[in-house]
Amino acid sequence: MDSSAETKKPLPITVHKPTAYNFDLGLLLASDPNPLVLTCRENLEDDLAATARDGAQALLNQLLSTCPIASTPNGVLLSLPAIETPLPREKPLPPPKAQTTWERFAAKKGIKPKTAEERKKLVYDEATGEWVPKWGYKGKNKEGEGDWIVEVDEKKERERKEGTEQRGDARRERKEKIKRNERMQRANERKGRKNGQR
Amino acid sequence: MLRQVKPRNARSKRALDKKAPKPTENPKTTLFLRFTTCSQILQDALTDLHQLRIPLAKKFSKKNAVHPFEDATSLEFFSEKNDASILLFGSSSKKRPHSITMTRTFGYKVLDMLELSLEPEGFRRLAQFKNKKCAVGLKPMLLFSGTPFESPVPNEYTMAKSMFTDFFKGEPADKVDVEGLQYIVSFSAAEESGSDAKPTIHLRVYLIRTKRSGQKLPRVEVEEMGPRMDFRVGRMKEAEESMMKEALRKSRTSTERPKKNISTDVVGDKMGRIHLGKQDLKELQTRKMKGLKRSRDVVDSEEENDMEDVVSEEEPAKKTKKA
Repeated sequence: MDSSAETKKPLPITVHKPTAYNFDLGLLLASDPNPLVLTCRENLEDDLAATARDGAQALLNQLLSTCPIASTPNGVLLSLPAIETPLPREKPLPPPKAQTTWERFAAKKGIKPKTAEERKKLVYDEATGEWVPKWGYKGKNKEGEGDWIVEVDEKKERERKEGTEQRGDARRERKEKIKRNERMQRANERKGRKNGQR
Repeated sequence: MLRQVKPRNARSKRALDKKAPKPTENPKTTLFLRFTTCSQILQDALTDLHQLRIPLAKKFSKKNAVHPFEDATSLEFFSEKNDASILLFGSSSKKRPHSITMTRTFGYKVLDMLELSLEPEGFRRLAQFKNKKCAVGLKPMLLFSGTPFESPVPNEYTMAKSMFTDFFKGEPADKVDVEGLQYIVSFSAAEESGSDAKPTIHLRVYLIRTKRSGQKLPRVEVEEMGPRMDFRVGRMKEAEESMMKEALRKSRTSTERPKKNISTDVVGDKMGRIHLGKQDLKELQTRKMKGLKRSRDVVDSEEENDMEDVVSEEEPAKKTKKA
């Protein structure tokens, strides 16, 4: 070992090996693929110490030069990269979680969660160039209800029941849709209660 | 196999949850066991190894009449009972003196085993080195030097490397204190010579002393802390391929898959590539006016032809959007 170098001269900090070290910094591991240099049996400990010193120096150099360092009140922290060496787990991976009733139903029906766009209340009306609400006061779903002139489908008009008229058809249709939805909702709740899921 | 317990109260449920398999696992616990005969040297060696791993290790002192390579069910029981997946079993017999059997388990079943026999002459205990020891529970740095550890075909040495890495891995940490890099565990093995004897694995533990070098990085010196052990490799039981494959599986959540068509350029701006269909200006929505509405009964033939063209153009455009 050349530790007895003079203090005035800068101590060498680089390690030269024929083959470079392999590092796995996540594990703080270095592997030296070079053949071990052993001179004689009496000198074994010194040789091993020299090898270990070189390895430690190389590993520390690599750690301090490649890992991001942050000084915090708790000390100077080195951020390590992820572990690369494949190491076996101790227990098998947990099985994936079972689907809930709703998730199963949604998958069967092809129901997807609403997108951010769908969740918004305002929509752009291209005809007027304004943002209008989808429902409610001046809602988009009431479009055409207040028109003062409406095109009449002759065929439908012929089949029209006695005592009804075209005026207010759009509104009636919308109200009917709401009623129908509420009916379905009540039926679903009843069905759920019967199956004992609630 | 232990009987399956259903938790009866919150405390036992917590304990069971702690043992349950997880996507990111608890650090592996090591269990130290001994055979009915176990030499004093070997007992000291096991004590020292236990000392190095102390928060993640358990040591039992009762004698167990177990022959791991013949029947490992007892070890599997110990593994399950103590939730330990690395077992070090010390035994010493006339045929195999001072031997340590390292066993790794996967799902409480033996994954692989390696027998290491300690050479009694070279052994020095931790306490025999009269210097200041490092703090308990620190993460060691590891060094494997020598060609045997780099063998492309799996053999005793690559298994020893894997096992000792697992043994000294400890708690997974993404950040370490620079002050905590206090010691290095060095494994070295000389080159395989022509004779039949396999090279010994030298285990040395060194404290790290850093000196000012006048440059940015410090100069490193080492000082032996102990223990000092030399191992000869003995029998081994390799892992079954299917079991090892299962054990090496990674959870999908742990790695974030990159998003397609999104990249960041040198400046740090986010770049995206968008696929658009062909734009058709005929379909462009202009201001709606009642007077311009096409009446239903008048259909001129020219317009119909136009409509067909639009449809045929739109189809390939839709395909590119999906791709």
